[in-house]
Amino acid sequence: MASTTSSQPQQINVADLDLQQLSDVRRQLEEELNHLTNSFAQLKQAQAKFKSCIENVREIKPQNKGTTILVPLTNSLYVPGHLSDAENVIVDVGTGYYVKKSRAQATKYYETKVEYIRTNLDTLQETIQKKQENMSYLVNVMQAKLQQSQTQPTKV
Amino acid sequence: MSAKLVFQEEKNPRGIPKAPFIANVEEYLGGPDGAVETPLKNFQDAIAKYRYMDANLTQRRKGLEDKIPDIRKTLHMVEFLQEKREDRDKNDDLEDDLSDEENSDNPEKPLTTTFELNDTLFAEAELEDTDTVYLWLGANVMLSYKLSEAASLLRSKLDLAEASLKATIEDLEFLREQLTVMEVNTARVYNWDVKRRRERRLAGEANEK
Repeated sequence: MASTTSSQPQQINVADLDLQQLSDVRRQLEEELNHLTNSFAQLKQAQAKFKSCIENVREIKPQNKGTTILVPLTNSLYVPGHLSDAENVIVDVGTGYYVKKSRAQATKYYETKVEYIRTNLDTLQETIQKKQENMSYLVNVMQAKLQQSQTQPTKV
Repeated sequence: MSAKLVFQEEKNPRGIPKAPFIANVEEYLGGPDGAVETPLKNFQDAIAKYRYMDANLTQRRKGLEDKIPDIRKTLHMVEFLQEKREDRDKNDDLEDDLSDEENSDNPEKPLTTTFELNDTLFAEAELEDTDTVYLWLGANVMLSYKLSEAASLLRSKLDLAEASLKATIEDLEFLREQLTVMEVNTARVYNWDVKRRRERRLAGEANEK
């Protein structure tokens, strides 16, 4: 395909491409867009999970130690019990490490995570938007070409 | 002509029809002038049915293979609780994570465990010394059971699941066989038809000469 002098994904001399190449570029852009949108959705999911973790940490707080809870031992077995430690929780920080943090520390940890994901999401959002603009520009050029080739069937 | 049923023979224990192997194509079609379209279509239908059943059973098998380790774990846990109640000895951790391990010989000490609040979040709790456990049966249903009842319920569920899994695997193997037989039949009928057309064409040319 005709490459350009710029490093942008958009081809500057896209008008030089014929229809076939234009549709190839368009397909490529669509794939990238799909991929980016999927990543966006996954990040959103992860962010929601961390937000719910913050909620859960908050739940431990107001409860006094004596309240009876049902403790899950497996995913279908629950045993009545009560909280023995209402000040600390254990957080999975990755690569097999579990850290006992105080409630405040855990909340801060999760909030940092949520914030980090949020910045990533913003960047991703911008990239997606740019790609979408490229796509629509490309489609316009394609349509123009199509019309051109239809009105001038003997164009060399 | 000969619109014979494809499935007129036995079925396996769970009602999957057995595919007949056609040893003599000509005889099956009813002579050298038998139509091949209908039998071929029937074969294709049968193959589609087999494939559909195959997909269903594979799904069921996967579901069972997922459920069985869960049931085993839960049963193991209930047995453990039973033991503890009977012996009142201090046993191993319930969870692999950091749980308090105080090796005191106090037989009345309740178990502490870390349990999962969320994917990356755990908290500590003490288990009460009770003989009642709650089993989540799915579909928003949870029942409380005495330890012994829970153990027997889980055992029967496990046996049922394992038997079901075994049957499903058998069915899958049987299906694969029948599918192959059907595909072979289709190929043979088709080849026989090709041969017959060729013979007719040659005979026709010979007649014209």
